[in-house]
Amino acid sequence: MKRFKTSTFLMAAAMTAAVALTGCAGSSDSGNTKAADTTAAAEADTTADTTADSSSDTGSGETAADVQKIIDSGILKVGTKIDVPKFGLQNTGTGEMEGLEIDLAYEIAGKIFDCTAAEAKEKKLVSFQGVTAKTRGPLLDNGEVDLVIATYTITPERKETWNFSTPYYTDAVGLMVLKDSGITAIEDLDGKIIGVSQGSTTKEGFKAYVAEKGLNVNPDFEEFDGYPSLAAALAAKNIDVFSVDRAILAGYNDDTTMILEDRFAEQEYGVASKLDNKGLAELVDGVVTDLINSGTMDTMLKDWGIE
Amino acid sequence: MIKDLLNVKRWEAFLDVLPTQYIPGFIMTLKVALAGLLLALVLGIIFGMFSSSKLNIFKFISRVYVEFFQNTPLVVQVFFYYACLPYLIGGRVPKFTLGVIGVGIYHGAYISEVIRTGIEAVPVGQFDAAYSQGFSYLQTMRYIILPQTMKMILPPLTNQALNLVKNTSVLAMVAGMDLMYYADSWGSDRGFFVQAYLPCALLYFLICFPLARLARYLEIRAKRTPVPKNKKEVA
Repeated sequence: MKRFKTSTFLMAAAMTAAVALTGCAGSSDSGNTKAADTTAAAEADTTADTTADSSSDTGSGETAADVQKIIDSGILKVGTKIDVPKFGLQNTGTGEMEGLEIDLAYEIAGKIFDCTAAEAKEKKLVSFQGVTAKTRGPLLDNGEVDLVIATYTITPERKETWNFSTPYYTDAVGLMVLKDSGITAIEDLDGKIIGVSQGSTTKEGFKAYVAEKGLNVNPDFEEFDGYPSLAAALAAKNIDVFSVDRAILAGYNDDTTMILEDRFAEQEYGVASKLDNKGLAELVDGVVTDLINSGTMDTMLKDWGIE
Repeated sequence: MIKDLLNVKRWEAFLDVLPTQYIPGFIMTLKVALAGLLLALVLGIIFGMFSSSKLNIFKFISRVYVEFFQNTPLVVQVFFYYACLPYLIGGRVPKFTLGVIGVGIYHGAYISEVIRTGIEAVPVGQFDAAYSQGFSYLQTMRYIILPQTMKMILPPLTNQALNLVKNTSVLAMVAGMDLMYYADSWGSDRGFFVQAYLPCALLYFLICFPLARLARYLEIRAKRTPVPKNKKEVA
């Protein structure tokens, strides 16, 4: 009995310590985020200026501290989608990641580690982690990933919390319904249930779209954590519509479903980084801008069959 | 964490969504918890009496119910009701119903066990005495056994009630429109997780704490009353 009590106590103590440790790590991180949050608006210009100087010298001379940290660690940690065909998809056969956003990650890694994208891929300089609409923000904040390239829509609110690069792609939201549901147009959606992804901008986009078209369509919205649960909810008819970015919908469309004509909420995807990491953000933005200006981005989009 | 806590801008954003999201979610949680508790108590009393019945078939039914629902996770059960029930009944299950049957049936199994042990703790002589006075089985239960059982089972019963309230948050995983759903939704939308989850926890606390205090009060009151005196009153 005595021994049992001691061991229980030890276990409890160990658990408490573990909680306390993780608690500390979490709090210091979020503390930083907040500090940056309030000062960001006021100091955005100065910070950008100073870091711009340092990052433009990347490879030759001085490197921004946050970028140097990645170089020292020898690996760039990137959060991508693993279930979005053409953008970020894990090949179930090989386990390899494939898609436009994967290629983009290698381009950025090439810039950071001063090599070509192909070399970066060859040397496995990027470690990918699957993220969802909900997890990508927190993963950036706690340093689990350096960058998120995961069909991440740029919004003014999000810009307050994270850095975003120049947009590399513009997508629109689509509506997917079951073929036997009898829904053929957006007008049929009044009073129906639209399933959207948690932490996404779909709901606001839909409302703005119907308001703009002058339609009196008032569906209910339900949010789900992840696309597979949305697909399951649609299959069980718990929701009438599965509405996310068209790029993502394409991966779930099969012979029982169809995607309505309507496109709304044109949105731009950007590469996101933690708000503190201004140097990294500057570098990433440089890479994306170069890719767009040189026409390489168009080629990459064409290669992946993205319009 | 501390700086996050003190970020006024984020708290203002929270206050904006308090009436539109948190309050409706809170009401939903409260409704599901109350109806769920009622269902759990009814099921618990029925099956608790079944398992202390003399008839083996009743005992068997009660065992099957208790063992099945006690030994499978609530999340699996709720997901089953959500994703599979529509195929079986050919229609959608409203979120309220989903929550009530989810926590109600699950905790009903636990409460059934609580009540069974409570009944078994009443000395068998109490049954004999009641029968000798011409009480039927149900009358014995109603007037002699259950009143004595109630006192003994109050603490474990409270435990179940509190767990039931907290477990309603599983609804959030199937877009249940409950408190946790809205907190999670807003939190992941804006990334203000401290402001999203802390008030959410407080609101759950607001339901559970008074319930716990009430149960504690009843428990103390029950202890204060000498048991023999009470037996006389009942008889």
